[in-house]
Amino acid sequence: MDLDALTGCLASSACLVTQTTSGFIIGMLLFLVAVGLTLIFGVLKVVNFSHGAFYMFGAYFAMTAYQFSGSFALAMLCGAAGTAILGLIFERVFMSRVYGADVLMQLLVCYAFVLIFDDVVRMIWGPEFKSMGMPAAFQVVPLFIAGGVVPPYYLLLIGVALTAAMILGLGLARTRIGKVIRAAAHNPGMVSALGINTGLIYGGVFALGGMLAGLAGALAAPVRSLTPGMGFSVLIESFIVTVIGGMGSILGALIGALLIGMIRSFGSLGFPLFTEGLMYLFMVIVLVSRPTGLFGKEVA
Amino acid sequence: MLEIRSLSKSFGGVKATDNVTLDFTDGSLTAVIGPNGAGKSTFFNLITGALTPDAGQILLNGLDLAGRTPPEIVRHGIGRAFQVASIFPSLTVQETMLAAVCADQRKASVLHRRFPLAETRDRAENAMELLGLASKRNRTAATLSHGDQKLLDIALALVLDPKVLLLDEPTAGMGTEERWRMIEKVRDLWETQKITVVFIEHDMDIVFKIAPEIVVLCYGRILATGKPDAIRRNEAVIEAYLGTEHHAGITV
Amino acid sequence: MTELQAEQGAQALEVPREAKTRRNRDALIALAVFVVLALLPTVFSSKLLLDFVIRCAAYGLFATSLNLLVGYTGLISFGHGMFFGLGAYGFGLMMQKTGVPVPAAFVATLAITLVVALVIGAICVRLKEIYFAFVTLAFQMLIHSTILSWVSLTGGDQGLRGGIPRPPFLGIDLSNQLHLYVASCALLVIGLFLMHQIAQSPFGYTLRMIRDNATRASFIGIDVWRAKLTIFVLAALFASTGGIIMALFVSGAYPEFAYWTISGEGIFINMLGGVTTFLGPMVGTVLLLILNDTVTRLTDYHGLVLGIVILFFAIGLRKGLMDFVVEWYAQRRNGAGERG
Repeated sequence: MDLDALTGCLASSACLVTQTTSGFIIGMLLFLVAVGLTLIFGVLKVVNFSHGAFYMFGAYFAMTAYQFSGSFALAMLCGAAGTAILGLIFERVFMSRVYGADVLMQLLVCYAFVLIFDDVVRMIWGPEFKSMGMPAAFQVVPLFIAGGVVPPYYLLLIGVALTAAMILGLGLARTRIGKVIRAAAHNPGMVSALGINTGLIYGGVFALGGMLAGLAGALAAPVRSLTPGMGFSVLIESFIVTVIGGMGSILGALIGALLIGMIRSFGSLGFPLFTEGLMYLFMVIVLVSRPTGLFGKEVA
Repeated sequence: MLEIRSLSKSFGGVKATDNVTLDFTDGSLTAVIGPNGAGKSTFFNLITGALTPDAGQILLNGLDLAGRTPPEIVRHGIGRAFQVASIFPSLTVQETMLAAVCADQRKASVLHRRFPLAETRDRAENAMELLGLASKRNRTAATLSHGDQKLLDIALALVLDPKVLLLDEPTAGMGTEERWRMIEKVRDLWETQKITVVFIEHDMDIVFKIAPEIVVLCYGRILATGKPDAIRRNEAVIEAYLGTEHHAGITV
Repeated sequence: MTELQAEQGAQALEVPREAKTRRNRDALIALAVFVVLALLPTVFSSKLLLDFVIRCAAYGLFATSLNLLVGYTGLISFGHGMFFGLGAYGFGLMMQKTGVPVPAAFVATLAITLVVALVIGAICVRLKEIYFAFVTLAFQMLIHSTILSWVSLTGGDQGLRGGIPRPPFLGIDLSNQLHLYVASCALLVIGLFLMHQIAQSPFGYTLRMIRDNATRASFIGIDVWRAKLTIFVLAALFASTGGIIMALFVSGAYPEFAYWTISGEGIFINMLGGVTTFLGPMVGTVLLLILNDTVTRLTDYHGLVLGIVILFFAIGLRKGLMDFVVEWYAQRRNGAGERG
């Protein structure tokens, strides 16, 4: 424990800015992964245990695309589009077979894919740590805000994630597809009775969730090291986020992700070894006081 | 004697049970009727502890049970069966009965003996005989017919030797013939077991033929109580029924 | 089809006498199994085989205790592995730091587990399904993080190193592999016997009722919360015993013992073997360990192969191996009955 470091940081504006920014990017990446999880749970009532793998694939796709083309934009596109296709295939070919079955069976299928995907990545890209490297366009002098260092890439990352959140929120609230998805979450029988193809919606939601996680992975690729199994810690943290925010709530995912981001960022100063423990502790406290999460609907 | 005193419960401003005061004398057979949404099931849920009343008392032989948990209330002698048969799908009829007696004898958490316990056998056997389920003892509950599942639900309540038995629509989801068989069974049980029985029923032919006492609920209030003849002539009741749904059973 | 039903057939009135003989019969079977296991080294003196059985004992106790929660009570715990880790670390630390005799450390570790499980269980069992799963997982990770960060006590990510002292007691020397083997077999057989007793006791049927329909159970006078807490704590004790065997076996304790993957493997073992029979998890344990060992030997991509096997069970069979066997047997018997 190092409470002096924490209080020292809280007193300095430079440190405050740096840690807050770092909390923001952790939170934003988590949000992109968690919102897919929460969406899939909300519509399909499936806890996608293999969701972290999409994050991992997003990062690896982006790295490979960047190495071949040198274009950062193309790398992001490949990361997002590749995982969207992967999500669609995964849902249509495998998950759709276990919807009626026990929750445990669904979890097992996901667990199997966690193992398989990690090994597939090891086969293709090798077991060692990889790095995509910061694109040239962002290798510029960092910004100084109130004395704190903020790399410009962080601003882009936060911007992209917030834009995605806004498009998603507006899309679900305002568009026809959004309405259909919300209706499917509420009453799947009714939606299929109205002649809407629920299989298409389910596949679409999985693809969307996969795409968002892939985008997060792609965005993270320049600033994190890539390794098989990298999806898992993200997955666990996204679970915490969705559970804190309330399963099925997008706003909850955003707030939960930011909270966890800040806990990680500031916690690493005060409790360097117990940072993860802090998150779990926080989750326990939230769930004990509000069993359905901060923004979850009360179930009678 | 079960005495309900000023029992009230509202859900977000809607008064589902509104200041209900009622007496059920020992050994009585009472039908609770009322249009859909009259608060009949809420009334049962309050008495059995599934819901906590906002106000009022539920006195069983003078002891107030209002606000207690379902297990406590059951142990004081108020048993219930559900509108949709509430059973244990993977247990057999016999296991269900034996386990229920076990619970009633406060042996549900016994670890050092084997199930079933010898002392639970006679009561379980008795309940199965009473409801005609003995021949189906080794069938799992999930494989029983709808009617048998309803009987098993009632048997589950009855095997606990309740003082008061609450039956929420024992004839729900049955054809005419099956309804009559079921209600005859309920009447038999009432006569032979000498317990207080309160049941909710929609079929007015059944109600007026079977129930010596009738309670009419409407919008959470008691509209009328009394013998079938009195209820049949009650202006308010006719108004309530004719006003909402014209029912063949009510004729002036 | 339940076990009781299968055993009884249609003769209902013979129930109570059978109940007693069934327990005596189980005790005899347990004794016989123990004797066979204990004599195994005289026939096969392979060190590998003994190691394998010891690992089966550790994981088998853990997985079977998880089935008391998942299969019998319908409580899907994602954090049951925390008690496995707690057992390993509790026992290892007790032996390293205090130097008390082995049996005393064993009992003390179970006592600590009891208290921890009581506190965590009291918080968790009131939560509904998926939330119960996640909060147990969170507690598991909390314990794991604590182990990692409390370096002065636990050795952090290095684990408890330097070996666990195992002073001989009553002529039993657990640092001798043969002695450890026999002791593990004894713990396994006793543990399984006790858990089978729990499953077949009136309380075991209370658990089945809660799994099937908790609301109805409360309306026949069962205190659901208390029953769930009781089985949560009991299962924790057996999981902890598994952890103790593991600590004795590797003469140490590592953070992986408390990591969530232990819980994941436990659930997987249960699915592999099947949750509707008592011995399903034991069969699953043996299967998974054999699978793990062979796959690790044959290929580097051990997750890939394991994943495909899991998929086969989850999508192809849709049930555990023992469930499959039991159903197949029942169908065959029914088929024969119809023909005859």
